[in-house]
Amino acid sequence: MRDLDGLKRELEHTRLTAVTRRHFLRHCGTGLGALWLATTAGAVDRLGFARAPAEPLAPLPPQFPAKAKRVIYLHMAGAPSQLELFDYKPVLARLDGQDCPPSFLEGKRFAFISGVPKMLGPQFPFHPSGQAGAWISDRLPHFERHIDDVCFVRSMRTDEFNHAPAQLMLHTGSPRFGHPSLGSWVTYGLGTENQNLPGYIVLVSGGKTPDGGKSLWGSGFLPSVYQGVQCRAQGDPVLFLSNPADVSRPERRRVLDAIGDINREQHARHGDPETLTRIAQYELAFRMQVSASEAMDLSRETAAVHARYGTQPGAESFANNCLLARRLAERGVRFIQLYHWGWDSHGASESEALTTGFPKRCLEVDQPIGALLSDLKERGLLEETLVIWGGEFGRTPMRENRNGQEMKFVGRDHHPGAFTVWLAGGGVKPGFSYGATDEMGYNIVENPVEVRDLQATIIRLLGFDHHKLSLPFQGLDQKITGVKPTRIVREIIA
Amino acid sequence: MFNPWTLARPVLFAAFLAGGTQAAEKIDFNRQILPILSDACFHCHGPDPETREARLRLDQRDGLFRTREGVTVVAPGQPDASELILRITSPHEDEVMPPRKVARQLKPAEIDLLKRWVAGGAPWGAHWAFSPPQRPAVPVPADPQLAARVSNPVDAFIFARLEREKLAPAAEAPPETLLRRVTLELTGLPPTPAELDAFAADRSPDAYERVVDRLLASPRYGERWAWDWLDLARFADTNGFQGDPERTMWPWRDWVVNALNANMPFDRFTIEQLAGDLLPGATTEQKLASGFHRNNMFNGEGGRIPEETRVENVFDRVETTATVWLGLTFTCARCHDHKYDPIAQQDYYALFDIFNQLSETGRNQGGGQVPPVMDLSTPAEQERVKRANAKLDALARRVDAFELKKFPRPEGRPVADSPDAIKLPGNLYATHAKVEPRRRNINGLLEALPHFQATDPDPEYAKLLEEHIAAVRERDNATARITRVMIMDELKERRETFVLTRGSYEHKTDQKVVGAIPALFRGAAEAGGARARPAHGKIAGPSGADSPPAAAPGEPRLNRLDLARWLVSPGNPLAARVTVNRAWQAFFGTGFVKTAEDFGVQSEPPSHPELLDWLATEFVARGWDLKALHRLIVTSATYRQSSRVTPELLERDPDNRLLARGPRHRMPSWMLRDQALAAAGLLHEQRGGPAVKPYQPAGIWEEATFGKKTYQQDHGDALYRRSLYVFWRRIVGPTTFFDAGARQVCTVKVARTNTPLHALVTLNDPAYVEAARVLAQGALATATDDSGRVDQVFRLVTARRPSAAERDILLRRLATLRGQFAADPKAALQLASTGEAPRPGSLDPVEHAAWTALCSLLLNLDETLSRE
Repeated sequence: MRDLDGLKRELEHTRLTAVTRRHFLRHCGTGLGALWLATTAGAVDRLGFARAPAEPLAPLPPQFPAKAKRVIYLHMAGAPSQLELFDYKPVLARLDGQDCPPSFLEGKRFAFISGVPKMLGPQFPFHPSGQAGAWISDRLPHFERHIDDVCFVRSMRTDEFNHAPAQLMLHTGSPRFGHPSLGSWVTYGLGTENQNLPGYIVLVSGGKTPDGGKSLWGSGFLPSVYQGVQCRAQGDPVLFLSNPADVSRPERRRVLDAIGDINREQHARHGDPETLTRIAQYELAFRMQVSASEAMDLSRETAAVHARYGTQPGAESFANNCLLARRLAERGVRFIQLYHWGWDSHGASESEALTTGFPKRCLEVDQPIGALLSDLKERGLLEETLVIWGGEFGRTPMRENRNGQEMKFVGRDHHPGAFTVWLAGGGVKPGFSYGATDEMGYNIVENPVEVRDLQATIIRLLGFDHHKLSLPFQGLDQKITGVKPTRIVREIIA
Repeated sequence: MFNPWTLARPVLFAAFLAGGTQAAEKIDFNRQILPILSDACFHCHGPDPETREARLRLDQRDGLFRTREGVTVVAPGQPDASELILRITSPHEDEVMPPRKVARQLKPAEIDLLKRWVAGGAPWGAHWAFSPPQRPAVPVPADPQLAARVSNPVDAFIFARLEREKLAPAAEAPPETLLRRVTLELTGLPPTPAELDAFAADRSPDAYERVVDRLLASPRYGERWAWDWLDLARFADTNGFQGDPERTMWPWRDWVVNALNANMPFDRFTIEQLAGDLLPGATTEQKLASGFHRNNMFNGEGGRIPEETRVENVFDRVETTATVWLGLTFTCARCHDHKYDPIAQQDYYALFDIFNQLSETGRNQGGGQVPPVMDLSTPAEQERVKRANAKLDALARRVDAFELKKFPRPEGRPVADSPDAIKLPGNLYATHAKVEPRRRNINGLLEALPHFQATDPDPEYAKLLEEHIAAVRERDNATARITRVMIMDELKERRETFVLTRGSYEHKTDQKVVGAIPALFRGAAEAGGARARPAHGKIAGPSGADSPPAAAPGEPRLNRLDLARWLVSPGNPLAARVTVNRAWQAFFGTGFVKTAEDFGVQSEPPSHPELLDWLATEFVARGWDLKALHRLIVTSATYRQSSRVTPELLERDPDNRLLARGPRHRMPSWMLRDQALAAAGLLHEQRGGPAVKPYQPAGIWEEATFGKKTYQQDHGDALYRRSLYVFWRRIVGPTTFFDAGARQVCTVKVARTNTPLHALVTLNDPAYVEAARVLAQGALATATDDSGRVDQVFRLVTARRPSAAERDILLRRLATLRGQFAADPKAALQLASTGEAPRPGSLDPVEHAAWTALCSLLLNLDETLSRE
């Protein structure tokens, strides 16, 4: 323990040097800095800064001033129906039960629809709400109280129509495995504010990992320090966080002190700076054992808070994860990714029918999301926290007819051509709606937003040019938005 | 404010990457100019015609030196007459190149370099990696003392460079450090105290070389090097994606281990894995080897279009082949011509055609085991299945006859049609009555038996059911022993291949393509030797004559075997280089080419180009002998240097690219686990066979598979098998490894990061805690006093004895730990009982726990975690 201060000083020096370098490089695009850039790609990235090897997650300033300091991403895995929540289509309601026009089917492919399906009207009543009069169904009353805080994008589209590739597309920019996730890019670019907690935390509800698996929070070709850390409700919140078998904190402290002492001897003899890094990481691990356990411990919240969110300590619920998200945001975690599950409303069974399973899912998320938004706002965190809600694609305005037959339950098939996401806080326009679909909710007729456009916009809100948040790999400057033309949706930025 | 050294460093670095002193104005086109042109110009003036502007190509000699309408792009010796220089220095917005709106702008230093290059006569050359390696002369260091330290040509190149940089190599590492380094490196396991003693005692001049030969001959060698190959082969025990069904590919993994141990020449190793099934008279082993390209993931998600999956799999095979044997990224060319490297979309689909002939349909019918598969069972195993089936058939006929009486119904109708069957409770109607006796499964029968024994007794029928259960069990056991493994095959009727628009399986263009090597290498093939030149679809491989016709006479359409043979022929300038580079990366942490996955135009120039080419040519000259290559590297004085580093050297060469010191790195996590098991004496060295499931926190698989897969942890010896044999579920991966490849796509780069989460694993994962407590048991059982025990364990994990200061720290810590555990004997016993390995009841729990904590400490020392 006694040399920790010295070590911290040493690390701080390295960090300052890194920041200084970054400053230097940013403001002096020529001369030595430029030469450095030309020769040591990798050690110094395209953003123009060297990373302190001892603190790969040290907080770094963004390229431009930005309101959003962190992200809470609420992903509804399975893809919720926009037509039952946010995209109101009275014409579709009128056409309910009629044969789908052939123009909808030509050249299209579906996961399950075959032959000529019937059109399916919205299954729940809609009404205009908030100052802007945004239409919303009756399924999300708690969320609705915040309708003037959020910005809807009703014209999202993606290239993928199966869950795993579409989820990968949304979170990593590529439908294939091996690419870094958005959270990895963001922690790579910004580091994180609290070194005692992972910078990128993933919470799944019901213990159900989405189809894309943990690649959705993988770091791809970025160093693995930037991969998402899944915190679990079962067992240790972070794998192997607890000391083994009743080993006490003081015992562990003494063991670490001795490790540190011997490592310092080793460093004095051998000179490898990696040894100092090792000491630092063991100290961080020791602090993380306390910080992560504390951050993940919901029993520290008051009864009023629990009532507001509908949380139960120990459960693996979306409600618990929303409250955890607020606790983690307060503690300076950079990217907090939540996954809810069960939104794949095909109608093949009761649990995935629009009329039965779907309202249950709405109940599970509505109150906690409302509570999270209120809570963030009251604590002054919403301004600097970008909250995003959405699925991996949308759902068809046609009723699913698996094998060309009417199914027992009511459902909709996958639809990559149109879906809705909403964003709140973090510098987006509140009470604003962007983009529109046709009167069936099938095709986008106004302001289409590709997945990569959304990613570029999120990255911009965090203070980066998405072209610059990149890493040379396989002979290319790799970035999450890929090589296709991408636009920042400036219209939704406040 | 900041240390001036941090700024001076890159300048020196730039100088040494440039490969020479700054005084001599000899600009190397390949290493200095081409990277600038590629990065700043090729996007619009490069290989891809779609994005090409002004019909100008700067990636080809003709384009670069072209004169059109009186304008010369580059006029050698005349910067002022060169449009390229005029454009990049133009003050006019509408003239200047690159255009101001483009992100990649030229830096003044780059502009200056381009000017000097043109002024100096504008020497030109194709990208170095696309020309065959030329064997350079071995340099001799000028300093006789340095020359005397040269152990083999590796050192000659490294030392000559150090001399130019005015650096000196470090002294040789101490013997115990060296033995630990080379033993871990070559076998993945630490040296034993006996081996350390023997090496220390051996004064003969070739003591080290003999150790190396012993290690290379060890069967552990293959187990260690298989790991790297499995990472690039994206090997796993499941398919990945939704449901993540299991597959049986371990026989292929064992093939790799055996081939490496037998030191199969790398050209044969290549050919058998890419096309073993196509070799004339292919043996079972050769067909098994072809499983290399069945290791890719397989998407069997519901709603998936089979053709899409099939095409994705072919993409993966093309791109993996390109990464492993060409060190090039072909992925871009799926959708369009490569922007920087001369790889056309047509080239991509020419390789696609070669891998497009597998009988795989994209449909997933066999769970994880997607056809084509090969049956690897022995005649005895097949006989057992046959007998079990015959017995089951006979019994089913008896059951059928009995049931005709018991459940009366018209003959030929199922039991379900009998009015008596409707009365069956629970699932029995579905699992018993509706299923003909031959097809009933064990679960249904086990439910039926108690019903007819107790609820609705029919002793005669119950007896028959018991026999039926026994017969089904025997049949299940017999078939479970049958091992089937996925391999490659070739369609009789070849699939036609068309270029796909933007790589979409649905959007075939009318551009038909047949199997061929990329055009870029056809020139090289001609230059590199006529033997490698494709003529009438035939490529003579290294072994020449046994090449079968690739296609119908007159149709130059290459197949997998032709491609495999070409890849390891003199016509391919890259296979030996990328292989040697990966080996260098394994030993020194970074390859000559830092980007092991990319040798293309955009890659950083190699740190030691001559040595890379010398090693590549040496590797081939020695018959693609991997063990000889490894021996050459580890017996070099370069490798044997101490890894001690001074602050000055650290400033000068932080990443140790110049190698004025030995390599020092944190070991891969799989090796750390093996080391802990070996040091504790827990390691169970059984080679090969199905994967094992050691300790893993509860719920990991369930969470990832919607509860469909439950982790059934193994017990006994299986807990202590080498990491190589740990079951790899692709969507979650084993929890005990960190910085490991995801085994989803081909990975040739090593990840080495340092985070608190890693510390949590080696401190708290039961695998490591158990190793610590068994280490403690060993120490308490053998050495007589605390000092002796500390020395013993310290040596087991670091190969050396502790210094007095270190021993003192450890003994003091031991004393406090004893005090703590004495105060809490319950906790002491709990810690001392971690894991399933036996614990002698005679051991005092407090003493055992204190030593366990101390051993855990020792397993977490930086030195223990590093290959020093």
